[in-house]
Amino acid sequence: MSLAAEAFVSQIAAAEPWPESATLYQPLKEDQILLSDSASSLAVQTFLRMCGLPIQVTCRPNAEYMSPSGKVPFIHVGNQVVSELGPIVQFAKAKGNSLSDGLDDVQRAEMKAYMELVNNMLLTAELYIQWCDDSTASEISRPRYSSPYAWPLNHVLSYQKQWEVRKKMNAIGWAGKNLEQVYEDVSQCCQALSQRLGTQPYFFNKQPTELDALVFGHLFTILTTQLASDDLAEKVKAFSNLLSFCHRIEQTYFKEHDRESSGSSRHSKGSLP
Amino acid sequence: MGTVHARSMDSFPMSGRDLGVHPDDVDVMEAGQETKQEILENKDVVVQHVNISGLGRTKEDYLGFEISDVFTARNLVEVMRKSHEARQKLLHLGIFKDVEVVIDISEGADALPNGLDVTFDVTELKRLTGSYNTMVGNNEGSMVLGIKLPNMCGRGERLTFQFSYGTKETSYGFSFFKPQPGYYQRNFTLNLYKVTGQFPWSSLRETDRGVSTELNFPLWRTDHTLKWEGVWRELGCLARSASFAVREESGHTLKSALSHTMAVDTRNSSILPRRGALLRISQELAGYTGGDASFLKEDFEVQLNKPFLWGSVLSASLWGGMLFPIGGQTTSIADRFYLGGPTSVRGFGMYSIGPQSEGDFLGGGAYWAGGLHLYTPLPFRSTRGGLADLFRTHFFLNAGNLCNLNYGEGPRAHLQKLAECIRWSYGAGIILRLGNIARLELNYCIPMGVQSGDRICDGVQFGAGIRFL
Repeated sequence: MSLAAEAFVSQIAAAEPWPESATLYQPLKEDQILLSDSASSLAVQTFLRMCGLPIQVTCRPNAEYMSPSGKVPFIHVGNQVVSELGPIVQFAKAKGNSLSDGLDDVQRAEMKAYMELVNNMLLTAELYIQWCDDSTASEISRPRYSSPYAWPLNHVLSYQKQWEVRKKMNAIGWAGKNLEQVYEDVSQCCQALSQRLGTQPYFFNKQPTELDALVFGHLFTILTTQLASDDLAEKVKAFSNLLSFCHRIEQTYFKEHDRESSGSSRHSKGSLP
Repeated sequence: MGTVHARSMDSFPMSGRDLGVHPDDVDVMEAGQETKQEILENKDVVVQHVNISGLGRTKEDYLGFEISDVFTARNLVEVMRKSHEARQKLLHLGIFKDVEVVIDISEGADALPNGLDVTFDVTELKRLTGSYNTMVGNNEGSMVLGIKLPNMCGRGERLTFQFSYGTKETSYGFSFFKPQPGYYQRNFTLNLYKVTGQFPWSSLRETDRGVSTELNFPLWRTDHTLKWEGVWRELGCLARSASFAVREESGHTLKSALSHTMAVDTRNSSILPRRGALLRISQELAGYTGGDASFLKEDFEVQLNKPFLWGSVLSASLWGGMLFPIGGQTTSIADRFYLGGPTSVRGFGMYSIGPQSEGDFLGGGAYWAGGLHLYTPLPFRSTRGGLADLFRTHFFLNAGNLCNLNYGEGPRAHLQKLAECIRWSYGAGIILRLGNIARLELNYCIPMGVQSGDRICDGVQFGAGIRFL
């Protein structure tokens, strides 16, 4: 997150308490949302649940364009709009909700490094598979991405999006990779995460942090999303401690919450395999 | 009998907008010609040949209709008048730079003693013309670069490319125009365009990319336009601080709409008319031909002008419109009506009347606006004509309302809703006419009936535009 955005977020988040009406916006869950957006959205929802902040999930076909940064998810709290996990973490912190206060500087730096790793590897791999793998792009990504739009706008927008992502992949040097190499990168990333996690319940022992939310968001979505092939999920399944980590967070923050508040509004969550 | 050059007969009226003569001046011509007519009227003549010289790429058959009337002339005055009319028609086609008329006695073997030959000596426009001009639209100025290919294939076709760089928007457009040979008013236009606009009153930015085809034709005394438009609209917030209601409208929509406009215009000028009336009714049906916006939009405009005491003009106008959503869809912020500002209900901010959210105006599903004006010439002016003729003072009374209707209720409830909370204003000001297409106004306004949320402009208000209430 840029310095200006950081300053902005902490400035706008006045001392007002977290309102009950806080809403998270994401693309249509059934027909539209793609793996990468779904993972980011789940990460934010997990983070907010870990903080104990209530949020309602609303699906909008134009969520991407409503977002001030052009990326989903974003939250609408009071009269403020904040998008993506990083700024949302800052925003929650400005409102007095933080998961990483108990960490020392070294740990905090380590946490940020791992979050960067997840964003640079897992998120980029998800984008690569969605838009650069031709069969996934034509069978899943383009039809889903363009589902809310009328012909011929659906084709225009989905190819425009694909072109944008491919341009980005070119810029970061991923364009030359093939699918196998990307799976290998995912495997390496999981290896690093698995080693860091070890036998602890969370990455920084007993207390969950935003890193846990981010890793859970991505891994759980990868495990539960049907893609053109199961190869990506298989790479993650090779690490048993990551699997049980996902299971634990799901049990703690989604199953129990839903059981407690079964009568009240249904909070959205990733579906089980 | 010698040669008569009809070119100097400029006392005949020139009609048509692009000829640069103010229709205001039309009524001065008749006096000087009575005496000439008496002498020449009785001399019978026969028009034997009508020639057009100077044609390059223009196909001769395209001009047949314009000049055929000259053959029906039976005396010299008629020949001159019909030739002059034909010249006007030829100029009106927009493919000639200049047309000269030469009337001469017939020569050759088959020449009759009272036979005449009429020759139109035309100068064609260049194949490619460029233009550079500045434009004043509704409260916005822009610089327009244009490239035009007039008379591309020899039958009046015109291809235009325009690039406009404005204070608020940058846009471009391609346009192809084709008239029906012999019936210029019946024409077909194809447009391709991209327009970007910023609407600060709604904190909204809109980019439109579209295709439209248009068919214009006169029917009895009315002008009709049939149009299909397919437009891809991209809406976004102008600033991070935009209200959430505007943010919710962001994104892409596709509108495919059929529309029909009927207009009757008997005014002598479109900017500062002295007499005549205008009626324009238009309807737009979107969604029937595809796209994801579905609505029916009705809009009308009436204006009546009457000369009043001491050269002043009394003018009354009424606008109104309704937007009916179809199929339970909500209407887009880009399709709704807006009201207020120096070109409609004066004394209010630009489009700053009616439904709003956190200071961003969202537009409404129904509106009406009426205006009563008294235009007077500037006091103490010395002679007719000159700079003072471009100015008018005016006193005005404007009123209007913009709201959303609940279409479950009956028309009585609708009328009641439109009659509630009427905004109105009165004041006086000075108007400057810019050519025959736009006008500037400097007014002192007193807004009344202001509702909470409306943005007002109490006192001096400046406005520029092409369409005025």
